[in-house]
Amino acid sequence: MNKVLQRNIIRGFFILFIQLVLLKRIDITFGDFNYIHFTIYPLILLLLPFKTSRTLVIGIAFFLGLTVDLFYDSLGVHAAACTLIAYLRIYILNVISPVEGYGKDSLTAYVYGLPWFLTYLGIFLFIHLITLYSIEAFSFVYIKEILLRTIFSFIASMFLISIGQLIFNPKY
Amino acid sequence: MRNLLYLLIRFSALFLFLFLEVVSFYLIVNYNKSQKEIWAHSSNQFSGFVNKRVEGVEDFFEMQNENDSLLLENAKLLETIINYRVSSKDNAFEEFEIQDTSKTYHIIPARICSKTINLRNNYLTLCSGSANGITPGMGVITKSGIVGIVKTVTKKYATVLMILHSESRISAKINSKNYHGNLIWNAEDPLKMSLMDVPKHAKIDRGDSISTSGFSTVFPPDIFIGRINALEIEGGSNSYKLEVLLNYDLSALEYVYVVSFDDTEEKKTLLEQENE
Repeated sequence: MNKVLQRNIIRGFFILFIQLVLLKRIDITFGDFNYIHFTIYPLILLLLPFKTSRTLVIGIAFFLGLTVDLFYDSLGVHAAACTLIAYLRIYILNVISPVEGYGKDSLTAYVYGLPWFLTYLGIFLFIHLITLYSIEAFSFVYIKEILLRTIFSFIASMFLISIGQLIFNPKY
Repeated sequence: MRNLLYLLIRFSALFLFLFLEVVSFYLIVNYNKSQKEIWAHSSNQFSGFVNKRVEGVEDFFEMQNENDSLLLENAKLLETIINYRVSSKDNAFEEFEIQDTSKTYHIIPARICSKTINLRNNYLTLCSGSANGITPGMGVITKSGIVGIVKTVTKKYATVLMILHSESRISAKINSKNYHGNLIWNAEDPLKMSLMDVPKHAKIDRGDSISTSGFSTVFPPDIFIGRINALEIEGGSNSYKLEVLLNYDLSALEYVYVVSFDDTEEKKTLLEQENE
């Protein structure tokens, strides 16, 4: 149990570091096309063990979002999206619950299998991104931009996170 | 209290979520320029919409005051017009001395409290009485015609004998020919009256207009009443019976003007002396 906690904290800071120092600087632009943004920090919330108290997840999500916001100069945008996804996490997990149920470990591909993990990640990330870009635009007048940005960022981030999982394949 | 605490604990995740979302949106709106602008614009639109509705309701309640002030204004204008008409007519005859008749008629606006229109004898009740300067015998007109004569007055109310009454006889004239007659009501149609006692040698056409004569002290002269709709000579009679179509609908009245004539007493005494 202690090891799970320890791993999650270390992993959290590591992912946050990658997100804020490396991925933030990557800017893929071809003319008008600038819809790709790598977003991997939701992984921190995603991997927390199933038993984690719901209020705790929401609290962590809020401060995580706020930290990201400080670096992205968008105070409140990431925090709102993270709080929402943290609130919805339990419902997503209940929908895609595996046959043998959830254990005490973090929700990794190593424990629950890659297909399950990719489903979970896909739902989680897509909701997060569409919320994030909707709040960023703050008006559904820009629905086209919101959707384009969501779809391209979703594909890029999925790709990146999957590779990360395959390389590190964390057990805890 | 225990139930409340239980509720708080049970839905703590939901409450925390909602609270943090509110905080997030507060931060978004306050610290991000583009979102702030969108927020300001949208909330302006919303508050504008609400304000407009509220104003509409307020306007509705203020309408009564507005109506009253308009009524007063109309009464003043009507007074001016009538007095001007009277004075210019008097001055047209050179043999008469030019008098200062600038203020012969006074107009008092009044609201109708109740009225009947379907009976043989119809009455109006006004929401103004002797406190507003109304006395029995005064004429009652509207912006487009005559209504009746004040019959009884209390401090706050007044009863008006309408022209739609079996005993009402109004002195009227045919404008283009200057023949005079008495206007009575046959209790058939509130839009139709009859003009009696016009001599049958007069050449009268359909569509001739009828106005008050100004012979009595009740109504000022030249108030338009209506047009002749049908001509008829009763057998053995020496005069026409003319059907007059009223210019206005008496059943749809809400406000009226009471006319007071300054020299009523003088003129009345004179008329009474003549009769003796």
